[in-house]
Amino acid sequence: MMHQKILSGTLTALTDRDAHLRLDGLTKRYGDTDAVAALNLNVPKGELVALLGPSGCGKTTTLRMIAGLITPSGGRIVVGGSDITRMPVYKRDMGLVFQSYALFPHMTVAKNVAFGLEMRGVPKPEIERRVTEALAMVRLESLAGRKPRELSGGQQQRVALARALVIRPSILLLDEPLSNLDAKLRDEMRNEIRDIQQKLGITAVFVTHDQVEALSMCDKVVVMKGGKLEQVGTPVDVYERPETPFVASFVGRTNRLEGAARGDGTVSVGGATLRVPGRPNGPVEIMMRPHRVRLADVDASPAGEGTNRLDGRLTRVTFVGDLLQYHVDVNGAELIVEAASDHGRFFRAVGTPVTLSWRIEDTMVFRRAA
Amino acid sequence: METNQTSLPMKILVALLFLFLLAPVILVVPISFSGEQILSFPPQSWSLRWYIALAQNSAIISAFWTSLMLGAIVTVLSLAAAIPAAYVIVRMRTMGSGFLYNLFTAPLLLPTIVLGLAILIVFASAGFLGSFWGLVIGHLVITLPYALRVLATTLGNLPLACEEAASTLGGRPFTVFRRVTLPMMAPGIVAATALCFLVSFDEVVITLFLTGPRLTTLPVELFHHVESRADPLVASVSVLLILLTLGVVMIVDRTVGLSKTFVK
Repeated sequence: MMHQKILSGTLTALTDRDAHLRLDGLTKRYGDTDAVAALNLNVPKGELVALLGPSGCGKTTTLRMIAGLITPSGGRIVVGGSDITRMPVYKRDMGLVFQSYALFPHMTVAKNVAFGLEMRGVPKPEIERRVTEALAMVRLESLAGRKPRELSGGQQQRVALARALVIRPSILLLDEPLSNLDAKLRDEMRNEIRDIQQKLGITAVFVTHDQVEALSMCDKVVVMKGGKLEQVGTPVDVYERPETPFVASFVGRTNRLEGAARGDGTVSVGGATLRVPGRPNGPVEIMMRPHRVRLADVDASPAGEGTNRLDGRLTRVTFVGDLLQYHVDVNGAELIVEAASDHGRFFRAVGTPVTLSWRIEDTMVFRRAA
Repeated sequence: METNQTSLPMKILVALLFLFLLAPVILVVPISFSGEQILSFPPQSWSLRWYIALAQNSAIISAFWTSLMLGAIVTVLSLAAAIPAAYVIVRMRTMGSGFLYNLFTAPLLLPTIVLGLAILIVFASAGFLGSFWGLVIGHLVITLPYALRVLATTLGNLPLACEEAASTLGGRPFTVFRRVTLPMMAPGIVAATALCFLVSFDEVVITLFLTGPRLTTLPVELFHHVESRADPLVASVSVLLILLTLGVVMIVDRTVGLSKTFVK
């Protein structure tokens, strides 16, 4: 693709004039290590932004600093134009949904939801009305009188969501809210959270280590690594146009090859020559998504226009239900091809020589330290 | 036991063990209804005379009221000191937290006789001997470590997230403590209450040093009584004390559950 970037470690920040939440060089230092290092981020009003990264990348620390539960070592947090960096947590007006739900075990569902309103001194009749409204939003009206321990995980999650939203927070913060749910419920809750967020038009920050959640729910994905931003962009951006090898391999699955770029749009990989977008020069790594690679019988004719081709040998086939994963040995490197599974029929038997082909524009190339 | 698969020999063994543990307590009951002048088992005749004698024994009755008041005040003061202390030590972890915790619970490790002597020496020079508030302070030394230990454990096991959630919802620190932390600590508070009261009510060693001719507690009074006479009066007191203890245990069981409170 034309705007394929060949850079690594560039910190990108969105520049949006009506940013609702702005992080300016936000830093948290523990001893000698920076859990979060000079983070810059703008979240426009009404957007759902995912902080995505492996554990220890600083995403939860960032969220907790926004909530006010952790004091930053440096930098600023600005919400709606006012600096809240030093504001105590109870004045911040953030709705935080915890991974463990953190419902008050000694209060009923209705009391849990009412808590934030009571703290704000909202008059009783209005509390009742808004609690009913919030419980209706998450479809739990009938369980208002129950205690949290009498609810299922999904129901507890929805109470936590209602409790965070009923105060009409300026920002909704979600800390891995789906990781304690089973797979099917997770899919449901994903849609439910997204629908509610859209309906209320609320600005939200969603912390997750699950790329599917980040891609499917969020307007923008912030990929983090080692306390720093790796890339900020739309889900399509970070998946299709990753700016660093880390983003490419963390968001979605990738095949990786090392080669030497010649500066003319070609890269020599082992004995073969691959064509890549742009004109990089020097040592590079090449990545492509397993599902964008096609598997065919060995073909001696020249590769078609716009296509890369490599020959190899099928070493293993894994059946994953909806997918078949073909492992192919190409001059000692193992590449994976994913194809829709057709009633579990394999393309060829293990040991067969095969040819891999993929489009040049599906080739991602990154500069590599020599 | 959920599955009823205990074998018969095992059941008999358990029954024997319980009998062994409870035998002294069980024996006290028939002896208390004895009609004799001397403590003996089995009694030759039956009567209520020792219960009547108890009702007329002003020394024991006043000692009982002293013990009851003492236990109640010591329990309230222990909780009043231990709840904030546990909160500071567990929740506001600072450099000295571990040290403070060990310091406050240290009396649990010291022999009570040593504590009693130490308190005696200090109180003698301060003129606290034989005074009610002297007893209160003496008992606090024993009960406070129990209360602190139980409450610190309870608090340490509570998830911090609930308190954090309450503060993000707009709860100021003290409101969060009152509305969320304290209610969640309830089982620990009930346990600490029962423990403090029973420890204070039962305390003999330190109390022996601190009581005087005009002020004495029930256990010390009974101790003196048995020293001078061997009549079944102590048995009838014991029966009443057993009933009182059973009452406390049942209240704890009904409110928070016994195993939840003491077994952990």
